[in-house]
Amino acid sequence: MKFRFHDKSVEAQPGDTIAAALFRSGQRIFSRSFKYHRPRGLLCVSGKCPNCLMNVDGVPNVRTCITPARQGMEVKAQNAYPSLETDFLSITQHFDWLMPVGWYYKTLTLPAMWHAAEPAIRKVAGLGEILPSAPTEYEHAWMHTDTAVVGGGLAGMQAALGAAERGEEVILIDDQATLGGHLRYHKRSGPVPDDIIAWLQAAKNIRLLQNSYCFGLYEGSLLGVLQRDPHTAAAERLVHLRASHIVVATGAYETPILFPNNDLVGVMLSTGVLRLLHLYGVPAGKRAVVVGESAAAEEVSGELRGGGIEVVAAVEPHAVIRATGAGKVDGILTRTGPFPCDLIVICGPRVPDTGLIAQAGGKIEWSDVQGAFLPTVLPPEVSAVGEAAGESVANTTVPLPASKRAFVCLCSDVSSTDLCQGIAEGFDEIETLKRYTTATMGPCQGRMCQLSAIGVCARETGRSLGQTGMTTSRPPNPGVTMGALAGPKHHPVRRTPMHYAHSNLGAVWMDMGDWQRPRYYANRSTASDAEPVLIEYQAVREAAGLIDVSTLGKLDVRGADSGKLLDKVYTHRFSDLRPGRVRYALMCDEGGIILDDGTISRLSEDRYFVTTTSGNLDFVHQWLEWCLSGTGWDVHITNVTAGYGATNLAGPNSRDILRKLTDCDLDSSVFPYMACREAEVKGIPAILLRIGFVGETGWEIHCPAESAEELWQALLDTGQEFGIRPFGVEAQRLLRLEKRHVIVGVDTDALTNPYEADMGWAVKLDKDDFVGKRLLTHAHAARDESREHLVGFVLEAPSVPDDGAAIVVDGQPAGRVTSSRYSPARTAGIGLAWVKTARAQEGASIDVRVGGRLVKAKVTMTPFYDPEGRRLRQ
Amino acid sequence: MSFLLPCPNCGKRSVYEFRFGGEVKPTPAADASVSEWQNYRFNRVNASGIQTEWWFHRSGCRQWLQAVRNTISNEVLESFLPGEN
Repeated sequence: MKFRFHDKSVEAQPGDTIAAALFRSGQRIFSRSFKYHRPRGLLCVSGKCPNCLMNVDGVPNVRTCITPARQGMEVKAQNAYPSLETDFLSITQHFDWLMPVGWYYKTLTLPAMWHAAEPAIRKVAGLGEILPSAPTEYEHAWMHTDTAVVGGGLAGMQAALGAAERGEEVILIDDQATLGGHLRYHKRSGPVPDDIIAWLQAAKNIRLLQNSYCFGLYEGSLLGVLQRDPHTAAAERLVHLRASHIVVATGAYETPILFPNNDLVGVMLSTGVLRLLHLYGVPAGKRAVVVGESAAAEEVSGELRGGGIEVVAAVEPHAVIRATGAGKVDGILTRTGPFPCDLIVICGPRVPDTGLIAQAGGKIEWSDVQGAFLPTVLPPEVSAVGEAAGESVANTTVPLPASKRAFVCLCSDVSSTDLCQGIAEGFDEIETLKRYTTATMGPCQGRMCQLSAIGVCARETGRSLGQTGMTTSRPPNPGVTMGALAGPKHHPVRRTPMHYAHSNLGAVWMDMGDWQRPRYYANRSTASDAEPVLIEYQAVREAAGLIDVSTLGKLDVRGADSGKLLDKVYTHRFSDLRPGRVRYALMCDEGGIILDDGTISRLSEDRYFVTTTSGNLDFVHQWLEWCLSGTGWDVHITNVTAGYGATNLAGPNSRDILRKLTDCDLDSSVFPYMACREAEVKGIPAILLRIGFVGETGWEIHCPAESAEELWQALLDTGQEFGIRPFGVEAQRLLRLEKRHVIVGVDTDALTNPYEADMGWAVKLDKDDFVGKRLLTHAHAARDESREHLVGFVLEAPSVPDDGAAIVVDGQPAGRVTSSRYSPARTAGIGLAWVKTARAQEGASIDVRVGGRLVKAKVTMTPFYDPEGRRLRQ
Repeated sequence: MSFLLPCPNCGKRSVYEFRFGGEVKPTPAADASVSEWQNYRFNRVNASGIQTEWWFHRSGCRQWLQAVRNTISNEVLESFLPGEN
């Protein structure tokens, strides 16, 4: 198995992580530090420190020490130019006196300074590079369980088995590929009992999530779990895991100790060295010095010797003066003398991993006896086992006093000197010190540095560790890729039943919410957009047109009290609507603001058919349900939007076309404007509404969705000899604008009441109480001159303003255009606009801003086309 | 925000299945003053503590319900269909 690391090919053994394979191949520098670009090598080998972050297959900040190597991977270093071995920016470490802690706050005190410095800072700061498009796929999953156990070490495995034996459903999460925790590499505690793993795998009510880490515990016992390589089609899966009970078995991790040069390549934690040795068979060096309390140091020394590493000396932590070497360790200076070596093994304090417990609201307190912060109070749904609970944690090593520069925070190069400086400047609480110095705020989220930072803070302020306390633990920790949080690239699209018929007709699509609608049908012989729209327009005005209006919201409202509900919710009266009639329906909120409009048809005594605007269906449905809730009225509301397809057949020839397909008498004397019938059209049961959004004789035909395409085709075929054309949204917008029909949400906004929108006729203040009545009554009585009114306008020069263009009166802004088009009927630019109430008079003069100049226009309060509505009624 | 909300019809569900519908408050009388109606329409109590709220179970039974929630802890003390408490 081979992968690429820059321009070389690296051989990997089965079971290797990327870092293990690189180390075996001789790579020692794995990254360059954030601020000073100092070389950094492997430290923890367990995904807890920031030292091995690399770019893998385009994904930045991958923890290579826990990421399995795979054939053909592309691995690249980050934050180093031109290479890991030689990084020009490493010169910055000699100028650290120029960049003291809080440098940004102290130096860039004027906006101009920041703007001058920002481009340079942006170039060198930050970590990793983000590709504009994710190179891999991500997905989300939702899981529920009785018990979730976080951590696959011995304590976690036993907890999982215990819960499973009680009959609970269990999910066990472990961040390694193999269960066993530290038993796998720690010879004295190990090996991992084979039978336990076999039991776990055999248990039917235990689900194992391996190679998965838990990055946060949220409200409602929700665990955020990131599962790597869930299957071949996804790189990562974010699992939203709900558990009734959570067992934290996250164990403890080793942390560094402070001495000058403690960040040199070749300074490693003892657990990291043992992992490399026992899990991957790679000795971390040839000649080692072990730093630790005698018992721990002796035990580690024994293991190292067994692995073929020469142990030059074992040194007590307080005897260390500094590590030596240029970039890489070449020795250590101690009070017992200098020792040349290529590896310094740190037996550091073990820190129980209590982050999840703190996030759940548990209390974490310092224990002098065990030398660690331990959970003391747990919320009822959380328990802790093993080292996370403090079991067998006994630290005697307290962070050392540091006179010279020792690195506390490896993520952002914060040294003990920086911390002391911050405290001297007054940031003497651990939380403010953290924010000022950024210690514990890097990619490792304080795992490596928190204990040391607390130690330094405690010593400098003369407080105990317990008094100093911990910083707040917040998710996500460890970090999560943005792609995993975002989830799959999933863009749901709604298609009408006639979608493919439109495609065949050359539809040019537009998105309307989730829906796709034909904007117009492309005429393949011309390239311009305008011409097909004009042809479609002319067909509707002069012959016949057909548009798919299936996207309209459709609600079936039934029951004896339906009329009562609609009277309450809409501004017009519907209880007195005769069966077979249609009425325009306007809906306002309690403030009298327009929410939605549509039509309501009474199909029978206790059945109404309600249409809503396409985008507002869910809202209107919920609004109706809300107004109904608790009333006890006999009403049932069913959303039939997807169940019905709908077309609008419009134009002077539409009656002739429809007559050929139905027995229903379409003559205006029996089927007048604003009437409705249930009838068969070409044998398909349909609801016919005689309404006219586009201003011509026409029918909105609703039929079962499964027959809608057939009906669409039948109408087009039958209409052939009458000059029918399908028309799209663009032509419909123009046709309705000529009729001055308002589109709610386009021509109205969140402040519009019906009177100002010139639709006062649709409000029946004389009916019993309805939603909005009180404030509508008020709005009706108080005609406020300071407010605005929706008017039509006709431009006096041949031009068309953009939607949103300014209205100008006497050189002052006096309103805005909401919709505007060129009107073939008026051979002029027309539109709707909000103007000050005083200007809302027939013939008033206004200026409209069109492309930077002012064009004169006349206000009109009547439709631009067929103002008496004769054509509609024909 | 990721708490569980008990729906009287469906049981405990993720709060993301619901649409928040605001505070439950008495509707003013039909002839109440304009300022009372404006107060009802535009102002909120925004309690820090326990309040009764409207919730719509959008991804479930599609019913409106009322829940008594502690806005500090997001603990839901009880929930019921309107008129059933």
